[in-house]
Amino acid sequence: MFEVIMYDGGVYRSAELFELIEDVGGAVLQKIRSSQMLTVTMSIPTEDKEAVVALCREIGGEVKEVPLAGTEIAVVGPTLGRHHMPHPICDIAEALRRKGALSIVMGLARGRGKGTSQISGSEVAIINEYDAAIFCFGNFKSCIEAKAELMKDIKIPLILVCGPRPEGLEDYCEGIVPGVGRKSERMRSPDERNKLDEIVSMTEMVLKDKRKRMSEDPLFVHPSEVKQVLENYHPIDMCLRPSPIVLHLDGLRAKIPYDENIQAIKDIMIYGRKLGDIAKITESKLDRSSMLIKIKTGSEVEYDDARKAAGKT
Amino acid sequence: MDITVHGTDPFGNEAYRVLFENIMNDLGEALAIEKAELVLRPEAPLFIFSVRLRAEPVSKTIADVSSLREEGSGVHITITDERYAPDILGAMWSMYGRNSVDQQTRFDMSVADADLEVVSKTVIASGEEALKEIIGSVWRSMPEGIKVRHVFISGTVVTVVATEEIMRPEFMKEGARVHVEMGGSADV
Repeated sequence: MFEVIMYDGGVYRSAELFELIEDVGGAVLQKIRSSQMLTVTMSIPTEDKEAVVALCREIGGEVKEVPLAGTEIAVVGPTLGRHHMPHPICDIAEALRRKGALSIVMGLARGRGKGTSQISGSEVAIINEYDAAIFCFGNFKSCIEAKAELMKDIKIPLILVCGPRPEGLEDYCEGIVPGVGRKSERMRSPDERNKLDEIVSMTEMVLKDKRKRMSEDPLFVHPSEVKQVLENYHPIDMCLRPSPIVLHLDGLRAKIPYDENIQAIKDIMIYGRKLGDIAKITESKLDRSSMLIKIKTGSEVEYDDARKAAGKT
Repeated sequence: MDITVHGTDPFGNEAYRVLFENIMNDLGEALAIEKAELVLRPEAPLFIFSVRLRAEPVSKTIADVSSLREEGSGVHITITDERYAPDILGAMWSMYGRNSVDQQTRFDMSVADADLEVVSKTVIASGEEALKEIIGSVWRSMPEGIKVRHVFISGTVVTVVATEEIMRPEFMKEGARVHVEMGGSADV
C-alpha cells in the first residue's frame, strides 16, 4: 500500500530525501523548486513512511498530508472577467493546490448572463479531460438554476460552488457547496476559510467515490509507474514547461507535442508491453503540444489480448 | 455611505450590499457617495443602481488642489490633494516642457518661466471625468451579464438601469421612479 505525502522545506540536503524515496521504492510525483524552497509530492510505501517523515524533519522541512495528490482539477467560472476573477475562483484553486491537486483556472467564452450564457463543445471537451471540475456561479438562485445547462454535458465528477442553494440541480453535479457566490476580495475571514475547506472536503469525497468505482476494475498499471518510465524519455526530460507530466486518476497528461512523439510514446515498453497497447493515447483538446494517456483497465487489456489471439484485431 | 437594497433574493441582497460597498471603497468612490439604492430583480432580469453624490462633480483647477506662489520668474506649486499630483505634473510638462519643471518632492515642484495666473486656472480634472468614473464603478458592481444599460443623470443623482437583452419601457419607468425618489429630476 502506497501513501502520498508532501515535503515542504528547503533544498538543503534534499538529495538525501530523493535517495531515500528511491531506496524504499517510492516515486516523486511532483517537484517544485522556487529559489531555495522545495516542495516534493511523493508516493511511498506505508511501512516506510515513518523513516521518510523522520528524514524530512531532520533536514528542516515540514510534512503535509495531500489527499488530492495525483489529480488535476479544473475550476471553471462563467468568464475570465474581473467580476469572477481572481475571487473566488483563484482562492478555490489555491485551496485545492494546498491539498496536493494540480488545479487550473478556466473561464468560459460566453458563460455570463442568465438567458444568454452558453458553453461550446470544445469547452466541454477540454473540461472532460480533467479528473473533476468545480463550477463557480453567482449570487442569485434563479440565475444559478438557469445556468444548469452549462453543466449538463460534463462527464467528469462536478461540484457546484454558488451563493444560495439552488433547487433541482442534484442530477447535474455530484455535490453543491452554497454560501460563496461572487466575491470582490480574497476569501480570508474564518467563515470563508471554512467554506474553502468545505469545498476541498467535497472534492476529496467525490474523488474518493471515483477511485472506489475504478478499484472495481483496476488499471492495468498505475499512472505513477508510467510516469517513472516516461521521465527517461528525452523530450520529456528536456521539457521546460512546469510539471511536464501531470498525473490523473486514470492516466496522465504529457506536455510534449502529440504529432512528433506519438509513435515513440506508443512504443515505450512497460512490463513487457507497448504503452500503445495498454493505454489510449490522444491529443489534448487544450493545446496541440500535450497528449493524454488514458491507461486501460486490466479487463480491457485482457479483452484486447483475447481478440488478438482470435485474430480479430 | 448609506446603502439600501430592495430585491427578491435574500442571499443576493446581502451579497450585493457587501459587493457594492467593497467595490466603491476599492475604487475610491465611497467618499463621494452619500446614499445608494440598489434594486435587484434577477428573475426579470432588472437591476437599478442609483447613487446620490455628496456634491455635483465640478472641474478642478490647479489652484483648487494646491497652493501656489511666485518664485523668481516662475511658479512654485505645493500640492495639497495627492490624488491630483500626476495630473498637475502632466499638465506642467505639456505646457512648459520637462526641462522647465523641477519636481523636488512628491508634493512640491517649481516651474520656470511660468505665469501664476495661467497655472492657477489650468483645469486638471473635469467634472465629466469624475462622473464617468462613478458610472464605471457602478457598472463594475453590477452582474457581468447585464450589458444593456441606460443612465439617468441629474444634479447629484446618477441612476443606472440595466437588463440582459431588451430594455422594456416598464424597466425605464421603474428606473425613473427610483431616480426621482433619490432626489433626481423627473424630466431625464
